[in-house]
Order: sequence, then C-alpha cells, then structure tokens
Amino acid sequence: MLRVDRLSAWYGEAQALREVSLEVAEGEIVTLVGRNGAGKTTLLRCLMGLHGKTSGTIEFLGEDITALGPHRRARRGLGYVPDDRGVYATLTVEENLLLPPVSGKDAWPLERVYETFPRLRERRRFPGTKLSGGEQQMLALARVLRTGARLLLCDEPTEGLSPLIVQQIGDILREVKAAGVTVLLIEQNVHFAATVADRHHLIAEGRIVESMDNAEVRAREHELLDYLGI
Amino acid sequence: MVISPRAAASGGPARVRRCVVPSLALAAAGALLAGCGGGPAGGGGKISDGKVVLAVLNDQSGVYADVSGRGGVEAVRMAVADYKAKYGDKAVADTIEVIAADHQNKPDVANSKAQELYDRRKADVILDVPTSSAALAVANVAKNKKKVFIDIGAATTELTGKSCNKYTFHYGYNSYMLAHGTGTALTKDGAKNWYVVYPDYAFGQDMQKTFTAAVRNAGGNVVKSDPAPFPNDNFSTFLLKAPGLDPKPQVLGTMQAGGDLVNLVKQYNEYKLRDKGVGLAVGLMFITDIHSLGPDALSETRFTDFWYWNMDATNRAWADKYQAKTGKRPTAVQAGDYSAALQYLEAVQRAGTDKSDDVVKQLEGAKVNDVFARNGTIRAEDHLLTHDVYLAQVKAFKDVKEPWDYEKILKTIPAAEAFQPVDPACKL
Amino acid sequence: MLEQAFNGLVSGSFYALLALGLAVIFGMLGVVNFAHGAFYMLGAFGAFILLDSFGVNFWVALFVVPIVLGLAGIALERLFIQRLAPLDPLYNFLLTFGLALILQDVVKHRYGVQSQPYPRPFGGSIDLGLFTYPAYQVFVLAVSLAVCGTVWLVLTRTRVGMIVRASTERPELTRALGIDVARWVSPVFGFGIALAAFAGVLAAPMRAVNPLMGADLIITVFAVVVIGGLGSVFGSVAAGFAVGLVSALGNLYVPALSQTLVFILMAAVLLWRPAGLFGREEAL
Repeated sequence: MLRVDRLSAWYGEAQALREVSLEVAEGEIVTLVGRNGAGKTTLLRCLMGLHGKTSGTIEFLGEDITALGPHRRARRGLGYVPDDRGVYATLTVEENLLLPPVSGKDAWPLERVYETFPRLRERRRFPGTKLSGGEQQMLALARVLRTGARLLLCDEPTEGLSPLIVQQIGDILREVKAAGVTVLLIEQNVHFAATVADRHHLIAEGRIVESMDNAEVRAREHELLDYLGI
Repeated sequence: MVISPRAAASGGPARVRRCVVPSLALAAAGALLAGCGGGPAGGGGKISDGKVVLAVLNDQSGVYADVSGRGGVEAVRMAVADYKAKYGDKAVADTIEVIAADHQNKPDVANSKAQELYDRRKADVILDVPTSSAALAVANVAKNKKKVFIDIGAATTELTGKSCNKYTFHYGYNSYMLAHGTGTALTKDGAKNWYVVYPDYAFGQDMQKTFTAAVRNAGGNVVKSDPAPFPNDNFSTFLLKAPGLDPKPQVLGTMQAGGDLVNLVKQYNEYKLRDKGVGLAVGLMFITDIHSLGPDALSETRFTDFWYWNMDATNRAWADKYQAKTGKRPTAVQAGDYSAALQYLEAVQRAGTDKSDDVVKQLEGAKVNDVFARNGTIRAEDHLLTHDVYLAQVKAFKDVKEPWDYEKILKTIPAAEAFQPVDPACKL
Repeated sequence: MLEQAFNGLVSGSFYALLALGLAVIFGMLGVVNFAHGAFYMLGAFGAFILLDSFGVNFWVALFVVPIVLGLAGIALERLFIQRLAPLDPLYNFLLTFGLALILQDVVKHRYGVQSQPYPRPFGGSIDLGLFTYPAYQVFVLAVSLAVCGTVWLVLTRTRVGMIVRASTERPELTRALGIDVARWVSPVFGFGIALAAFAGVLAAPMRAVNPLMGADLIITVFAVVVIGGLGSVFGSVAAGFAVGLVSALGNLYVPALSQTLVFILMAAVLLWRPAGLFGREEAL
C-alpha cells in the first residue's frame, strides 16, 4: 500500500533522514520507534508532503505521490494526526470534525463518530481546545476516520495520556485495523506498541536500523526502554 | 509583528510617504524648466555670472502643490517673457533662467535647498516658499548669503516681524490680513459670537490668535476655541457641539486648510449647521479648495482673498494667458508669483545690476500696480507688500457661469487697512 | 453626549471596515498590507471617476468599485505577493509599502493633491429618538455594521468561513487535512481589498477625496488592528468602533490630546495584553 524508497530529508544543511526505505501493507499497523530527534516525525511529515527539502520516492496505492502537495495526498486517502493533535482553537469540536473533506468510501458518518466518542457529541459546540488532552486526541483520530482515510499517519497518539485513555486508543486502533484501515504509528510506549501493531521499525539518526516483530519487541522490552531513555 | 505598532506610534508611514514621494516629481519639474534663457551672456559685468537666475522653491507634490507648485513656476516664466517683451534690447538682464526645487513643506529641506539654489545653482532670488516654518528657514539663509528672497506662499507675519531681514520680502498675504479681513467684516456685520476651530500646529495656532484678536477688536466675542488634530478627517465632535455652546455662536470660524478644510466643510453641511443658525467662515481658503468642495458646499461662505482671476478684465486677460499655458485657472498665489518675479526684474532693470543690495534698494518703497497688486507698496520698514485685498463670497451654484467661476467680490479692503502696522520687533 | 458617541461610531465604521480587511489578510497571508490605505483612497477616487467621467451614481459605484478593486487585489496577490510569500515577511511589507507610494503618486500625478468634489447621494436627517442625525451618516453606520455582521456570519457559520479560520490558525495542518489553502489565499486578499474600496466609496461623500486620504487614515487603522489583536477578526471590528468612540470623546473633552489618544490607548492595551484585546499569544 505504501512504498517508500530511499527517502532523505534535510533541514537546511542538516540531514534528518538518510535513505529510508519502508513498506507498509494494507491492513497492517506498523510502528516507528526511536529516540527524540531520530527522524520519526520528519518521516511522517515527508509522507504527508509537509517537508520541503527531500529526495527519494513515495508510492501510495500504486501511485507515485512524491510530487503532490499535502492536500492532494490527503484526498488520496492519507490521514494525518500530528504530534500536537492539531486541534483548532478557532473551530468548534464539530467544525474540527467536519473540516477535512471526505476522501474514501469507508468514511465514518458523523453519527458513528459521536456514538464511538460520546464526549465529542456532548462538547460539539465548544472550541476544540477546550477539550482535555485525551479528548483532543480522540478528536484528532475521529477527524481522520470521518474522512475515510485508508492510511493513518499517527504521531505519538498516546503521549502524555492516562493509561485508561491509552487503552481506549488501543481499542480504537484495533477496531480501525479490523475495518481494513492501515496505520503507521510513531510510538515510544513499546509495550503499548506491541499490543496494537504488527511490525516495528527502530529509527536512529535518520535511518531504519532494525525491524522487529511483536515477539521480539516483547522479549527486548527492557533493552528498548533503556535505549529510548524511558 | 512589531513593525506596524512602532510605525504607527511614531506617526510613521504617512510622514515617510510624504517625504519619499516628491523625488519623481522633482525630476519631472527639472525637465520642464530646462531651456529658458539661452543665448550668450551679454551685458558686460553688471549681471552676476552673466545671467539672472530666478529660483522657485515650493511644494511640488504635497498639500500645496496645487496652490502654487509647478503652476507657480509657469507664472514666473510668464513674468520673464513679459519683462523681455517690454524691454527687448534694453533689458539689463538679457539672459534669465528660471529654476525650481521642491521643499516638501519641510524647514530642513527648505534650508538645504535654499543654500544649494543660492550657491551651486547661482540663484539671484528665491520665490514663493509656502509653509511658514520653511519660509522662515529660507529667510535665514537669505540673510546669511545676502541674497534676495521674496516669499509669496507662506502666511506667517513673523517674516516681516521679529524674523525680518534686509533681503527678505513678504509678498501677497499673511495671517493678519486673512484674520482681520474676515473676522472684522463678519463681526461688524452682526456675527458677535464665534466658535473657532483650528488645526493644532504653528499655522493654526497663529491664525487662532490673530482671528480672536480681530473679532474682539471689532466688538465680538470668541465663545470657544478648540484645537483639532492635524491631519484630521472627522470634525463631527466640534460640529455637534457648536450649536449647544453658550452663548450660541453665530459663526463657526475654521482655520483648517487643504484636505482638512474639505473634510470640515463636507461635515458642516452634513449636520446642516447653517440651518441651525451657525454660519461658516473660513480663515484661509484658496480657489482650489472651493473647486474641491464644489461651490454648493460652500455657498455664501465669506472669506478674504487677495486676488481673484475673474475679478475684472485685467485679471481675466492674464488668467486666459495662464490657462493657455497650463490648462487651469491661476490661484492667487500663482498670480503673486508672477507679480513678484516681474517686480524683481523691474528692480534689476532700475538698478542696472542684479547685485542684491542694489536690488533691495530698488524694491524698498516701490509702488506696485500690476495684474496682481493694486495700490501696492513694498514697505521699506519691514519689506511687506501692502495692497488691496478683497472680502469675497462663494457663489451659489446657480450663479456659477463657467468652470472656476466661484467667487463674488463683496468689497475691497484698502491696502492701508488690510495689513498690520509695522511691527516694532522688526529691525532691518 | 449620546450624539457625540454616535458620531464616534460613525467614524469607527471606517476604522472597522479597514481593520477587518487588514485582519483577514494578515490572518490568511501573514502579510501586513501597507497598501490598504491606498486602496481605500482608490475606492473613493473610483467613485469620483465613475461619477465624473461616466455619470455613474453612488449606488452603482458602491458595488462596482469594490468588485473591480477586489479583482485587482487578486491579480496583485497572484502576480507579486505570492512570489514573495516564501521569503522573509519584510519583502511583502516593502512591496505593499512601495505599492502604496506608487498608487498615491499615480493618482497625484493625474488629479493633483487638491480634493475632488463628490456630492452626497442623499441629504436629510433621521430622527433617532434622542436626537436627529444626518441620514447619510446613519446610513454609513448601518451599512458598515451590516457588512461587518455579514462577514462575521460568513466566517462563523459557513464552510468557507471554517476553512478561512482553519487556514488562518494553522495553514500547514489545514493543507495536510486535504484543503487547498492556496486556492483561498487570493480571494481572501481580494476580499480584504474590496472592503477597503467599499469604505473608500462610503467615505467619498463625507470626506475629502484626495490622494493622501488613505495615508492619513491608515496610521490610526494600524493602531486599531494592534489594539484588537493582529489577525483577530472580531477584535479588529470591535476595536475599530471603540477607537472611533474614544477619539470622538477625546475631541470633546481633551481636544489637545486627541491626536495621541489612540496611541496612548494602544500602548496601554499592549502593556496589559501584549497580543491585543482579542489576539491569541501564539498569533504573534
């Protein structure tokens, strides 16, 4: 579904990604783990078309999207959940949900969003940023689900959230996966990652240095946590 | 985003704009002025540098550009042509050059331009110079360089008062004449109570003082005087409160000029103050202002004018010549520019030289009777030209017969009454 | 007193319309449009030229002039501003500043600095209960309230408004969510210019129509935008009317201070709330 070939990216003179190649198959959940500054967020931004200086190619659903602007990628089925959740303060909760145009046939109707996230219905007239952190994360996820995106690019959805909410997000991701949606996830919480994802890539200094399956992640959990400095 | 507040707080962009703008205009003006004079320098030594150079220093692109500006330069060239036609081979000044510069209404610019004109561009006389602060700056340069300066465009009485000097002349009008003409006439006509609104800078404050004195001397009373911001586009506050003052003023006297005056009059009409019994008197008004507002807006407003193109056949004939060259009717200042240049050249003719001291001697006490000045005398004591001025009234729209036919002259204020007595502060 | 307050609101109408245009442009493009005053001036001149040369009346001008200048604004954005957008914002400041000078000089060259005559479209007074007021001024206030209100409704109640708000707040994210932000930039710029032109046409019958009218006014409008909070639409409108009110009452009670009152107010607001009354800190 997604094929990334020798993708490099720079911030000015500094190289942030070094020839990253990566494939994600339809229906998979793949996580990217790595220390802060390893290049995970940059990779996601490159996939979304938000990073200026890059080389390499990105193929999505068999089409080369390297030259497309972000809004065109979104309309082809990429759904972006940024690391700060990207909830608009000047839009109400409902407007936040309705802002992105529907791009796929599996789009969630608003009613389904509200059934899944009753808090959002209760607060639908509130400005987006009046929600709690967990609620904002729900909103950001719900927003891309409503568009019917085929591939979700989620940048640390569990960061700073209570275990209860992390669990809830896990449930949603699994539900999403069951519906055939693909997810590329940045996740520092390797324990959580192992419960939702199929495969994991460890990124360091702009490269994919290792790829693991769930069993390996579980076996090396302590080593990984040490490495990540958590 | 710091730029906008900072610029705004210092009153920035507009001021900057006004100083950046004129450079283009200046270049254009320079081109226009080339090719006056020409021919070999004759006359044998009596004329400095072999030619007489008349420099017009005025506002070529700002708020007074239409009052004199390039039209003033054209008027001076007409004076040169008339002088040459009159004296032909006998002309002392056979090579005459007219040059021009833009002082942007700024005293510092006027100061440096005046030095440049006298020194580098060999000007024998500087003419016009509107804006009082700029005129005072040039007067000072003239004094130091011992060169003639004849101011037409500025209003301050200081030029012939405490800042007078041997080489500086004031030719045409001043704030005393404006205030006394209008203030005295209207007060004597029964407008006892006045409300004065003036722009809060040197000219406005000066006008307010002189106006108030004139009204009081004529037996009237200034109920209140309010300073208004300058520039300002909303005078409603003053207009709304005018009828409610106690005692109720019969006349609103505005000392605003240019765009501010237009704003005030438009709003005066909006509030129908005339119907509420508050008439309008304008301190300083040029025909260009009436044109801007349309005569209807000012209908029946009285003011003091010091020259009007359609007053009589003489003026009209000159105005026709001027219009043939410029496509416009001349303002009073432009006619003053013409007359000042002509009288300067006549003085050179009489002196037989363009040496400043000799020309000044010829100008002092000179009687002037030309298209601009009637019963004119250049007072030897303070170098002020006194001449007949006029109480004028803006015509009603139905009486306007042709373009720029805006004024009706109500009466002549004789030269002896029109201007202030010699200020003892002036020591030549 | 009430009458004076009303008068303040009338002059506030112009501030509000101009500040509103500046605010939407700043929000969407991050450009402080120094040419805004020049477009206000062009609006008034547009009305004058239509009447003087073509005999087109005020009411038609009130529609035609903003549309024409709005389209010119779109062209300006496409041809120039867009090209400079990726560079330092200073380039666009300089561009719009230079443009203001050029427009002003072109008009000056053609029409001189003297004010041009423009008649009132209608006279008469309206009885407002407590006092009567010139009908045209009441009309100006009503129309500008209606326009500001409509813009507010469009921004808060429509999809277009939602997109504009989202693009203003986070342009990059909005693109990543599938919205072609660039497509909205030119129309928004054009719309801001159209608002300035609209204010200019409204001003023609009651204010001096000359090349400097915009330059004189825009300084106060910048102060208004700063007071209201840069890029805040509601803030700029509210501050516009408030500043009108303050200057009118200032003229009444402390005429000597009235020139500086607005800037004193601005300084006070900035000390108290650096982002302006309705600005968000991150908008700076």
